[in-house]
Amino acid sequence: MIPTSRPGRRRAAPAAAALCLLAASPAPQAQPRDSGAAWQFGAVIDLASTSRELELGGRSAGLQLGHSDLTASGPVGRHLAAQLTSVVATHDGTVETGIEEAWVQTRTLPGGVVARAGRFASQVGHLNSQHPHADDFVERPLLHRALLGGHWFDDGVRVNLTLPTAQYWMVGAELFRGRKLVPEADPPRGGAGAATLVARTGGDLGRAHSWQLGLSYLHNRRTAAVEDAEEHGAAHEGEGHDHDHGHGARFGGRRTWMLDATWKWAPGGNNREQQLRLTLEAARVSGVAPHAGSGQRHDAVALSAVWRFDPHWEAGARIDQLRVSMPHEDHFETGRLRERAVMLAWKPSHMQSLRLQLSRQGGALGFESPARRSVALQYVVSLGVHGAHAF
Amino acid sequence: MPTRSERGRGLRAAALALLALLAALGRPAAAQTIFACEPEWAALTHILLPAARLHVATHAGQDPHHIEARPALIAQLRGADAAICTGASLEAGWLPTLQQRAGNPRVQDGAPGLFLAASATTLIDPRPGAGGNPFAGDVHAEGNPHLHADPRRLLEVARAWSARLQLLFPAQAVAVAQRHDAFAAEWPSRIARWEQQAAGLRGARVVAQHASFGYLWAWLGVQQVADLEPRPGLSPTPGHLQRLLEQLRERPPAAVVVSAFQDPRAGHWLARQLGGQVPVLQLPATVEDPEAPDALGRWFDRLVNALVRRG
Repeated sequence: MIPTSRPGRRRAAPAAAALCLLAASPAPQAQPRDSGAAWQFGAVIDLASTSRELELGGRSAGLQLGHSDLTASGPVGRHLAAQLTSVVATHDGTVETGIEEAWVQTRTLPGGVVARAGRFASQVGHLNSQHPHADDFVERPLLHRALLGGHWFDDGVRVNLTLPTAQYWMVGAELFRGRKLVPEADPPRGGAGAATLVARTGGDLGRAHSWQLGLSYLHNRRTAAVEDAEEHGAAHEGEGHDHDHGHGARFGGRRTWMLDATWKWAPGGNNREQQLRLTLEAARVSGVAPHAGSGQRHDAVALSAVWRFDPHWEAGARIDQLRVSMPHEDHFETGRLRERAVMLAWKPSHMQSLRLQLSRQGGALGFESPARRSVALQYVVSLGVHGAHAF
Repeated sequence: MPTRSERGRGLRAAALALLALLAALGRPAAAQTIFACEPEWAALTHILLPAARLHVATHAGQDPHHIEARPALIAQLRGADAAICTGASLEAGWLPTLQQRAGNPRVQDGAPGLFLAASATTLIDPRPGAGGNPFAGDVHAEGNPHLHADPRRLLEVARAWSARLQLLFPAQAVAVAQRHDAFAAEWPSRIARWEQQAAGLRGARVVAQHASFGYLWAWLGVQQVADLEPRPGLSPTPGHLQRLLEQLRERPPAAVVVSAFQDPRAGHWLARQLGGQVPVLQLPATVEDPEAPDALGRWFDRLVNALVRRG
């Protein structure tokens, strides 16, 4: 989830810093008075105390700094916008830092086209492109933790097209190096290692209902090196944590299909007072290893419901299911894991939230340390200006 | 993995389908499509450019600070020829996402097609350097953004928006200018009438929830002596209401005013505790149907009447 200081990860930092400098200098004066746009700076701190680390979880037991970030964003001249986000988190008492976003994006291409280049989170699925500190639960669903390394961002380019239709339709393609998905590839591969295609549609039904549907395809050309696969398999459990938790997808494959559906209901459309949000995400990965047959695949599904019953209070529940094919010597073994979570969040303002969550893992097969019960208390506070959130 | 030729075929098919779709959608070039972030600006646009197709992002039953960047709004902004919003960070939580996703160069920051009403007037209560403090509530450094509740400022916005529309749609320029002149000629007399009607309110003390009507108070000389919100944008808390009760018991206000989209329970509680003589007015913070004839005028009629009659 958080980039460490691996050599491959460091390379982007100077480029990102240069980008930031380039971006910051001409912007403020160049804008006309009502442009409403200047460079904005913000920080988010995410602290959580967890009673027990979850299997495939990104937060160790005890008090840890979660996905906390410093963000700068704004226009670069009339035609471009840029964002730079650096992330800090602790894992097992070690502080990890890295650049998570460093991109420029077009603002003035015709025909509903928006292009982006740099480092950014892929738009596959519903949650991946959103910052984890805006999530409704302390941990992302198993689907994301197992198949996308928690929060998959990478170096690459994106082109999106929003169609000029009354109903919202967006199609987009991304090309990534893929090193954040599969850090060590065998055979080693340069260039574009992963590509995605996403289609999204959505709309309103009356004033009270809104919905969105998305279909994503991720093509991954990088095969995880064998030692990587073993290291990331279930066999290592029991001798302490794999330090690389969350870096790269623990269960990958060549082809990933994802389906996401969101439905929101707010009485009278006044979502500040009350709102019900339902989100379903499902993923299927095939081509899980070079010698795998068509029967070998990973499946994951997550369904969450969050109810804002007061402007400052939300309650939610999530069910999560994962089935994976794990290579074991010359054959595959099935791994299974189920997770259930309930949470209660108090949001005294939109810049702070305090969340209590109870998670239970069960039905485990091939996973050696599922947490039968884990309680987490999380506090998220943002300072300064933080970007607007997606649907 | 699909072979190269398979992929090529797929791409060609997709491109063809897309072209067919675009051709089918070719809009008639006649009417302009205007995206209005708030209903009051849609109403103003309807006065100046009645033939325009209006997309109104919010309605009187919603808190304009807390709108989500819904797919429907992205599609609406995508098809807009121009957009009119309040600015002053009122839409900071959702408009940037819409702009980013819509990919419509006409309505990006700095483009002439994006007009911010706050740029046409001065704002009350600016707090330079404020904002970004998570414990201070929703403070807008630029000042109170709810400027449409002052009919005099509406006149300033109308002038600037009319000039912008003339620039954007030269074919409509003469008609827009004529409609603006008619509006600018008539509106001051209505302001005078409302002022006359509300003359008795000068110096009246009210309690309100949020600064939604800050400009209305400033215009009519009404004094907002307390806010039901402990901090801007935060819901009333029992502790805060208790403090207000202590503070107001000696001299109860003339009315407690809440917006149509707010939960009125806190206001009712306070009014009851103050002896039940204080009326609670739940008023729409903007026009309810922006395309109704004289929507803005009738909204001010309603506000002034409700305040004068206290009910």
